[in-house]
Amino acid sequence: MTTALIADDESPMRDLLRARLLAVWPALEIVAEAANGSDAVALAQQHTPDIVFLDIRMPGMNGIDAARHLYSRCHIVFVTAYDQYALDAFEQGAMDYLLKPVSAERLARTCERLRARLARPPQDIGAQLAQLAQQMQQAIPAKPAYLRWIQAQVGGNLRMVSTREVLFFQSDEKYTRVQTATAELLIRKTLKELSDELDPDEFWRIHRSTLVRVDAIVEVARDMRGRHMLRLKGHKEELEVSRNHTHLFQQM
Amino acid sequence: MPPGQVNRALDNLRDALGELTIVWWRFVDWLAVVEWRQLVIIWLLTVLFMGFLHTPEPAVWFVFISFGVKVLAGGKRKADIEARQAGVKANVANLEKQLMQAQMAALQAQVEPHFLFNTLALIGQLIETDPPEAARVHAHLIDYLRATLPQLRTRGGGTLGKQCEMVKAYLAIMQARMKERLQVKCIVPTFLESAPFPPMMLQSLVENAIKHGLEPKIAGGMITVRAQVIDATLVVDVCDNGIGINPHAPDGVGLANIRERLQLLYGEAAELVIEAQAGGGCCASIRLPYAMMEEP
Repeated sequence: MTTALIADDESPMRDLLRARLLAVWPALEIVAEAANGSDAVALAQQHTPDIVFLDIRMPGMNGIDAARHLYSRCHIVFVTAYDQYALDAFEQGAMDYLLKPVSAERLARTCERLRARLARPPQDIGAQLAQLAQQMQQAIPAKPAYLRWIQAQVGGNLRMVSTREVLFFQSDEKYTRVQTATAELLIRKTLKELSDELDPDEFWRIHRSTLVRVDAIVEVARDMRGRHMLRLKGHKEELEVSRNHTHLFQQM
Repeated sequence: MPPGQVNRALDNLRDALGELTIVWWRFVDWLAVVEWRQLVIIWLLTVLFMGFLHTPEPAVWFVFISFGVKVLAGGKRKADIEARQAGVKANVANLEKQLMQAQMAALQAQVEPHFLFNTLALIGQLIETDPPEAARVHAHLIDYLRATLPQLRTRGGGTLGKQCEMVKAYLAIMQARMKERLQVKCIVPTFLESAPFPPMMLQSLVENAIKHGLEPKIAGGMITVRAQVIDATLVVDVCDNGIGINPHAPDGVGLANIRERLQLLYGEAAELVIEAQAGGGCCASIRLPYAMMEEP
């Protein structure tokens, strides 16, 4: 008997697919249902189904990554409501996929194809899946490595300050001062640690003790004593640019 | 005198007057920009030169007239410069307003295709298995779209009550999809429902909580929307017990947009505060000045 597994994080969607499969292919036995990618992989290893129906967006592990664990052992059918990249890739790679809500006719055709394929070993779709997984990663975080949130203890709470809110960081003996347009906070992270973790295109070091957000800079002007002073958007205080760092502003 | 000659003489006179006016106004413009120091030197030279020719009277007149004109024209020029500056200022204000409208339009057009398709798929399924539930989800979707799409946005949606209704519609749809993985708690006192509240901010926070906090969490969790007044400040919190903020994930367009709009609408009096929760998850809080209603 042919066996199948259904993975979708939304239970109404699993119910629909099960009901449709029962109508179209009564002999197919659904051996397990999973609500996330990692469960799908574990249950598939346990029950060794012939076919796995995989939703693409699931918590924990997404459907593409789950498929990369499973494609050599079972036939994969992707199920999705909307995923532009994925749909193009499925078309090009002649992979099986269904669009939600799954219609009876479309499912009947897919099942027809599956019956014909079952005699043969599953398609080798490893390369396409690897490419798709990479595409999906690129679509979500652009630059993953840099620090984007500063954590600061305020009273009993842990405040999360987006780096986009920060005007500058200034070292202050034991602490580092974080200045935003509306607040001044103190954190324990040193300026050295910050400059290692922050995006160097987002924050520039302008002084031994100052890191400033490039977007917040309005202008640099020389004061009466010949020092380069930097003015910031929406903040009164001027910051000194030390001699070693004036080259940053030569083009401006 | 024949009439032809009279006409010609009048024409000549008119031409001469025209030339004279042009020369006069050039002279005034020149006086307006010329430096006082330079002018004084010119006066001295003219007086000396005319004095040398024993006819100082025209020179004296020249000095008097140019002095008078310089004083008056200087004021005119200053006014011109001020007018130009005022124009620039008005332009900046206008640009800011346009920018704000553009941002609001962009924000309000953000109905995620993924959300829309999944919800429609759910409705399609429920029509067969549970028609009353399908009708409910369908009604919530319409409420949500009406409030979200700028083309359908009805006027006067800027109260906390309206914003909460919209968020509840969205959360009801998400509950129908995520089932037991999503619990919702909404604590908004009735007297705050009429409080003015900018559109699409609460919505944006709730969508963030679902998308970045609860959906990626296998067990799901609870989302709490709470409004309260603390020291003449209206505090509206959206808290979740999801996976929390990844310090390396960039903050989205939504949050930056809320911050910018709060700044444009309230200046420094309003803020968006994000806090990490002790047990995991996060709390986003919008704080606005709240005007207590006077008793009638």
